[in-house]
Amino acid sequence: MATEAVGLPFEATSTAAWLVWILPFAAAMIMPGIGKLSKQATGYVAVGFALMSALSAASLLPLAVEGSEIHKQVMWIEAIGLKGGVLADPLSVIMANVVGWISFLIMIYSTGYMKGDKDITRFWFWMMFFIGSMQLIVLSDNLLQVFFGWEGVGLASYMLISFWYRDKKIDHVGQEGRTTLGLLDYYAPTHAGMKAFIMTKVGDVMMIAGMLLIFLYAGTFGFKELMGGTEWAVAMSAEGMLVPAFVLLFGGAIGKSAQFPLNEWLLEAMTGPTAVSALIHAATMVKAGVFLVARIGPIVFALGAAGIMADQFFEIVAWVGAITALLLATQGMVNPEIKKVLAYSTGSQIGYMMMALGVAGLSHQYVDGYTAGFFHLISHAMFKASLFMAAGSLLHVVGSRFMTDMGGLRKSMKKTYAFMWAAGLGLMGAPFITTGFWSKDAIFASVYTSGNEWALPLFAIAVLTAIITAFYTTRMIGMVFFGPKSKHIQKMEEEGHHIHEASLSMWVPYGILAVLTIGIGLIGLSTEHGLHHMFEVYLEDSFGIHSEYAKAESSILPDFLKGINPVALGASLVAFATGIGLGYIFYIGRWVDPVRFVNSNIFFYSIHKLFLNRWYLNAIIYWCFVVAPLWLARGVFRYFEKTAMDYGMNDGFQKATAWGAKVVQGTQTGVSQSYLFVFGAGLLFVVLILLM
Amino acid sequence: MEYALLQAVFLPLLLSPIAYILGRKVGPTPAMWFTFAILLYTTIIVINAALSGTVEEHYPWTEQFGEFGFLLDGLASPFAIIIYVLSTILVLYSKPYMIHKFHEQFEEEQKENPSSSGSSSVVESSALSNYVNAKSGLYFALYLVFAMGMLGTVLATNLIEFYIFFEVMLIPGFFLVALWGDGPRRKIGLMFLFWTHAGAVVLLLGFLMIGLTIGSFDFADIRESEIPQDVVLISAIAIAVGLGVKLAVFMFHIWLPYVHGSAPTPISALLSPAMIGIGAYGIFRLIVEFLPATFSELSIWFHVWGLVTMIYGGAMALMQDDIKRLLAYSSISQMGYLLFGIGSASTMGLAGAEMMYITHGLGKGILFMMAGIIIVKVGTRSISKLGGLAGKMPITAVCAVIGALTIMGVPPTSGFMGEWILFYGALETAIAEGSTLRAVTFGLGLVATALTMSYMLWMLKRIFFGKTPEHLENVKEGSWYMTAPMMVLAGFTIVLGIYPDIFLKGIMGYMSGVLGV
Repeated sequence: MATEAVGLPFEATSTAAWLVWILPFAAAMIMPGIGKLSKQATGYVAVGFALMSALSAASLLPLAVEGSEIHKQVMWIEAIGLKGGVLADPLSVIMANVVGWISFLIMIYSTGYMKGDKDITRFWFWMMFFIGSMQLIVLSDNLLQVFFGWEGVGLASYMLISFWYRDKKIDHVGQEGRTTLGLLDYYAPTHAGMKAFIMTKVGDVMMIAGMLLIFLYAGTFGFKELMGGTEWAVAMSAEGMLVPAFVLLFGGAIGKSAQFPLNEWLLEAMTGPTAVSALIHAATMVKAGVFLVARIGPIVFALGAAGIMADQFFEIVAWVGAITALLLATQGMVNPEIKKVLAYSTGSQIGYMMMALGVAGLSHQYVDGYTAGFFHLISHAMFKASLFMAAGSLLHVVGSRFMTDMGGLRKSMKKTYAFMWAAGLGLMGAPFITTGFWSKDAIFASVYTSGNEWALPLFAIAVLTAIITAFYTTRMIGMVFFGPKSKHIQKMEEEGHHIHEASLSMWVPYGILAVLTIGIGLIGLSTEHGLHHMFEVYLEDSFGIHSEYAKAESSILPDFLKGINPVALGASLVAFATGIGLGYIFYIGRWVDPVRFVNSNIFFYSIHKLFLNRWYLNAIIYWCFVVAPLWLARGVFRYFEKTAMDYGMNDGFQKATAWGAKVVQGTQTGVSQSYLFVFGAGLLFVVLILLM
Repeated sequence: MEYALLQAVFLPLLLSPIAYILGRKVGPTPAMWFTFAILLYTTIIVINAALSGTVEEHYPWTEQFGEFGFLLDGLASPFAIIIYVLSTILVLYSKPYMIHKFHEQFEEEQKENPSSSGSSSVVESSALSNYVNAKSGLYFALYLVFAMGMLGTVLATNLIEFYIFFEVMLIPGFFLVALWGDGPRRKIGLMFLFWTHAGAVVLLLGFLMIGLTIGSFDFADIRESEIPQDVVLISAIAIAVGLGVKLAVFMFHIWLPYVHGSAPTPISALLSPAMIGIGAYGIFRLIVEFLPATFSELSIWFHVWGLVTMIYGGAMALMQDDIKRLLAYSSISQMGYLLFGIGSASTMGLAGAEMMYITHGLGKGILFMMAGIIIVKVGTRSISKLGGLAGKMPITAVCAVIGALTIMGVPPTSGFMGEWILFYGALETAIAEGSTLRAVTFGLGLVATALTMSYMLWMLKRIFFGKTPEHLENVKEGSWYMTAPMMVLAGFTIVLGIYPDIFLKGIMGYMSGVLGV
């Protein structure tokens, strides 16, 4: 299968594919023991195991380069004949490396960020458990095993969101006392964790329904087996079950990746330690949904060759992505909490990836959108993890999650300032020098050229979102680093706190990622072409999806931009310039006061309120799915369970028996005449019956 | 081994007087170890027998009823193993809990009869230890009989024998609740007796109809004979209702929160996971296996009934403030899962239902033990008075989380293995029959798992997380007697979740044979 003999100096082995996810689990298992011996050692052990896992992932890289794969199976549940195994193909190898190396960097960061926490052992346990589960999702060869990892990351996410389970005020998110539609918009960590777990469970319920449907027709959960034949798909589409099954499967991705309408948990997830937000709620777990779509998308698309069309699936994916991208970006513009802004941004960027993967299935060039979506996943993982870690440093230093409590920090935290600009430019898509630009541009191009009826509206949403993205990123940097020092900081300095740069173990990891954002960005186009070629080979070999090589059309663009779509390029340049320009006016140059601007007329005021209240989506979900069911359950408990069931069947029965006993007792008169009378009446009755 | 099952069933009964005497004369600890040793031995016998495949033993009995036999097959062995493993482990747990309870009751009685309180503290302490000795002897004796009744029921090979064991487990259950329960314990004990006895009588009616029609009560004869259609339907319904009371399905559930809430916690931990599920065993054996034609008619009713129970139990669990009542409603909901699986009428659905019995046994066992530790160590069972206990009792908290995950069906606990197989079975039948009702039931059933998750997580949050109220500052972790059994079960549920073949092989073998696929 090797198409190109680039040749790395080592070979991939199946052992490495197992080790990638078993090592972190092993680390988690020994963590409590190590914590008993020495709290300090736990950090080193965690970093060490994370490194070993990442190295194992790296040793699989030859597979991606050569376009080959490793697929090893073992018997798992013999009673049903299910096999488990690892599947390391280019897709999973790239993903495993993204996850592995970013988790390694975040682990280093955590040693600084979590220093001195007395529950540190528990933190490392769940972090390692998380990495293991995430790599399990990536490297599994069947859906059931994926689901194990899927719920594992959900569990770790729940545990880490509510890591500071004592619910101190500082660990909350939201503004105290603020309400939306009568419901508090202020969440404790334990509440947030529960919300995340239950909301993603709704997605998981859909996912398992989809999995079971596929298993019913295909008799297998295995990806390779599903790729291998089309009989199952023929049977499914004959009964109209194909699209529902895959849409249900996508429901899992909606939950896990915080897509509309299950997006609301991600914001409250910010109650967790920032290292957790960076790893789980920015770089890896929320990408699991994207990865799942990347796993099953080609399977569905390849069915098109057999005449089984599932366009609705891709349309739903694209539209869910587009709606989420816009919906969350708008809310990011107005929120005062730095981590929440980043969280909104994460959901919004994942929306982009979903859009690209969806649009890919609607076009003739599947590989274009596929590469774009996955490239954006990689670049987003880098710059968003970097931004989150930098935000963690800010929180650490300032002691507040509100950007209004920061301001003017560019002098005292120079490194963080620089790295945040670098990563922020990546998020904004600064032209030609950042990975974010190339990946976003690729998405624009694939949406624009997809040639289906939705291309233009989707493209418009994508561009609008890009403008908003550039705006809120500039706003964030402006509010944190520019302008005068806030009252909070002045007060801190008066109290003798020195505002200083974060420690070495903290800034190095996000520095590396910020530099990589720019560094890979400089060679972004060739990176993209490399990825494109790799996926071309992968899709061709594994799924039989052919890609037509675009003819070198005469283009108005200069040579170094060969192969770029001019419309997409223009749109991304305009979007970047507009967004950063507006942001500059309000927050860096500070020529217009944003507060006065918003309050200047009723239109801006109401829009601002709508965004700040999260489009009322969160409140509506709470009213419909928390308040109303609880009210209903209380009513049933009070008026049915307690009365009809409890009183009626226990006390009522008791009373009826007692009453019956009294009646019977009343007949025991002890007067022989009355007995004789009844006896006589009975006799008469019997005689009458006999006579008739 | 010869007479293996006979020993496993009757050894606890025969040796229970010795446990009583040991407790009375020597003290609770020797009585506990003695009880533990007996049950451990019999558990090993049962596991050993189960490993060697199907085991059948027959002993002569009376002419009217037929043979007295024991059968340990793919269906019975998971039930038998779970019943005895739980019984064995909970012996250890019983000691600290029951001593706590005896002390409480002793003080209560002292208050009621102040005549003896004038005596010196030395006399009082010897009076206390005598009291504890006497009570613990009685407790362990009743405990052994209770365990034996449960095992006998799942091993019986004769309708009358089944009924006798079914009632035998009721009597010690009644005494255990009435003597050492919380709240109005005698009233609740009686309620337990009446409800389950009424159920058992309906069950007996069904048995008699079948037995008198074909002239034999032996399972082997019933399996082979043709029973007239009208008799079958009525007796199947009678059996289903009788077992439904035991399962505490919706409409017959009202006794359960009282009894499980009031019973001494180790007994709750046996009643809830092990005992009520025997109702499901009965449905498997008596209806699914013996009356397959009737079963396929009734299955959709079971299915919907199960769904209603699932949702109803879960919704009521949301409203509880008493930990044990919450767990009791959760048990009702879980029994709904079992019935739901049985109603799916497919091999996988039935196998999933049996896996759910195992998994519920492990998970709910852990959670009831958690409740007991809190009752002993904190002295309250009201959730609203708890909070932030994770830092105070870490082992309990970890085990409780694992138990809750098992009930929620989150991998890698065994709960997930039960659940997906169960729901797959439901889906399979829904698609095969093209039935909209079944499809809707399947969907709502899946949604009900989110409800299960909600009440479980909310319970964990209110007990273990959040701010610690001031009166809980000095709470300590439970003793090893109490935590070790939890840890064993917690480990077991994870092992089973990753490697379900331990039970699933036998179950699948049996289930596919029953449905004749």
